[in-house]
Amino acid sequence: MLSVENLTKQYGDLAAVDDIGFAAGQGKIFGLLGPNGAGKSTTINCISGLLPPTSGTISIAGFDIVRNGRKAKASLGVVPQELALYEDLPALENLYYWGKAYGLRGADLESRVRDVLGYIGLADRARDLPKTFSGGMKRRLNFGCGIVHKPKVLLLDEPTVGVDPQSRQRLFEMVEAERDAGACVLYTTHYMEEAERLCDSLAIIDHGKLIAEGTVAELKAQLGARDVLQLNGEFSSGLGAAVVARGIGDLEVLSENDNSLTLTMTAASQYLPAIFESISGAGGVVRETNLRSPNLETLFLLLTGKELRE
Amino acid sequence: MTFLFATFRKDIARWRQDVVAILIWIGIPFMIGGLITLMMDRDGDDGPMGVLLIADLDDTLLSGAVTAAFGREEMAELIGVQPVSAEKGGELIEAGEASGFLTIPAGFQDAFLNNTAATLTLKTNPSQTILPGIIEDIAEVLLDAGFYLQVTFGPEIAKIRDGGPLDRPSDLFVSDLAVQINDKMQKLGPQLTQPLLGVEIVAPPPAEPRPDIALLFLPGIVLMALMFAAQGLSADYWKERESGTLRRLVSTPGLPGLFVFGKALAAALLMAIIGGATLFVGFLYHDIVWSKFLPSMVWIVVSGVGLFGWFAALQMLLPNMRAADLFTTILVFPLLMMGGSFFPLEVLPDWLSAIGRWSPNGYVVSQLTDELTSVSPWTFDLRNWCTVAAMAVSGLAVCSWRLQTGFASK
Repeated sequence: MLSVENLTKQYGDLAAVDDIGFAAGQGKIFGLLGPNGAGKSTTINCISGLLPPTSGTISIAGFDIVRNGRKAKASLGVVPQELALYEDLPALENLYYWGKAYGLRGADLESRVRDVLGYIGLADRARDLPKTFSGGMKRRLNFGCGIVHKPKVLLLDEPTVGVDPQSRQRLFEMVEAERDAGACVLYTTHYMEEAERLCDSLAIIDHGKLIAEGTVAELKAQLGARDVLQLNGEFSSGLGAAVVARGIGDLEVLSENDNSLTLTMTAASQYLPAIFESISGAGGVVRETNLRSPNLETLFLLLTGKELRE
Repeated sequence: MTFLFATFRKDIARWRQDVVAILIWIGIPFMIGGLITLMMDRDGDDGPMGVLLIADLDDTLLSGAVTAAFGREEMAELIGVQPVSAEKGGELIEAGEASGFLTIPAGFQDAFLNNTAATLTLKTNPSQTILPGIIEDIAEVLLDAGFYLQVTFGPEIAKIRDGGPLDRPSDLFVSDLAVQINDKMQKLGPQLTQPLLGVEIVAPPPAEPRPDIALLFLPGIVLMALMFAAQGLSADYWKERESGTLRRLVSTPGLPGLFVFGKALAAALLMAIIGGATLFVGFLYHDIVWSKFLPSMVWIVVSGVGLFGWFAALQMLLPNMRAADLFTTILVFPLLMMGGSFFPLEVLPDWLSAIGRWSPNGYVVSQLTDELTSVSPWTFDLRNWCTVAAMAVSGLAVCSWRLQTGFASK
């Protein structure tokens, strides 16, 4: 349904997206995860036709976005990260307009707009201007404008940014409903818990490169049962190597600097006293300890040596 | 085509939410047109009029004749004579509320009849220049007339003086005096009435009828409304960009060209309303032949879309919303100045007028002026229509190109 192959987007010498590829099928939610600036939005912009790719191919419902743009776009729905609404046009008129932009006409358009208004919970505010809506209501209308034409492929670019918990829950339900209706959903986020809840499979992207891909279960399996131990305090150079040299379990250093030390090992809680003792013996001072069991965030940390939300 | 009309309807619906902007675009030319009309009406008055205060302390037949001389025929169009007392006249002239104050002293008539000296006092208003000068000149002419009367009719005046009270002359006295004066006039007649030089007055050939100056302002005022509207409407591309709707547009199968054309159609309707209202009032006020209304309307709507297209293109070529707004706002005023909106092209210096006629709005003003001042309607030729159509199409093409080359991205 959605296929991205060897996609590269270059700005001068900077590769915002560097040779990435993935595929997402019908009735599935595919997550694209990465920190801010990783290249998620650039990828979405290339898929939606907003940016021409430097190289690579993007196929939507069998149509190439560059060579057969209109047909590809007819199958595509986009819910951008920032609101894309006419705030001075009633909610109903917004849906009508975007429905017509996607080629809907007559009774089809009429019934679809009514359905979507009920679906996004704005039927009683249909004739009101979006500028009078709350943030959550605007988000729902933004979502409605992206699905008014029943797209085969739906792109959701961080749709929950700045959304209150209640509206977020409603958005999750709507995304799941689109998947259940047979749409292929590409969902970008930097919230791992969202990805874990919604995505059937996902890809992790950083610095424009795809660094991991698979189902949530497959990616977690890459971690094994290794915990991540994050320590803050005062650490001299080479302290990590000195601690590893003490031969504590299967301890490995993920990252280190003067103020933090990130370690990974199996059943880390059992070895905490030995770890603290060896750090103290090497001249380090621990002020804060954070022990995390394996999840997508720790996988990202493991793969990149940095937090997802840095 | 559905998407084109959907875009047109969408923009009209959005502009209906902003009625104030439309009223301002209509209001500016009406305000300026109203001011110009007021100025023209004032210019159409009989001109400035002076006030001459006369304190007649003599109150005789002769002093009355002097007073009446200032209020006769053409003189009355320039100077209004106001009889006053000496005190009141003094106060008014000191307060600067008159052009001059003439005091005719008591005994003025007797002095004239006795051919003795009498002093008429004329105070003039120093804050005025022309009218007091005219009053002085008239007073001197009257004094000269008195002198020549003394020289010419000295014996007759002496007879009047010696003949008893002037208010009860006998019939014999009057008839005798009339015969003497008539005899003298008969003798002087050839010298007084026959011109020594023959003067032939040759009237210049009748000039081409010049249009009313107030009418020449009308095309410029209409274009002023269109320019402000075009500049304001063109800023909508940046508003759409900021609201993210252009990004969404690019991800739809809707063609950017149709979107641009739909916005231009909405602009055309607004131009028709704004320009049409101004033009309609102008037609009523100047009593222009109504057969010229339709061609004038079509002309301003097509031209208005052309101006809108180019303002929009300029806006979309600039790097940010503030720069775009500032640049187009700054651009509007010199274009209005050169293009005949502040002063008609016909009254501008030749070099400025020539430049103005080459500016986009100046070209439109120039052709509209020709239409409004011509004898028959539809003076626009094929070249005129091609020029404004090319302006519109090229501007809109640039807009469409920019939409597809990154302008929609935020």
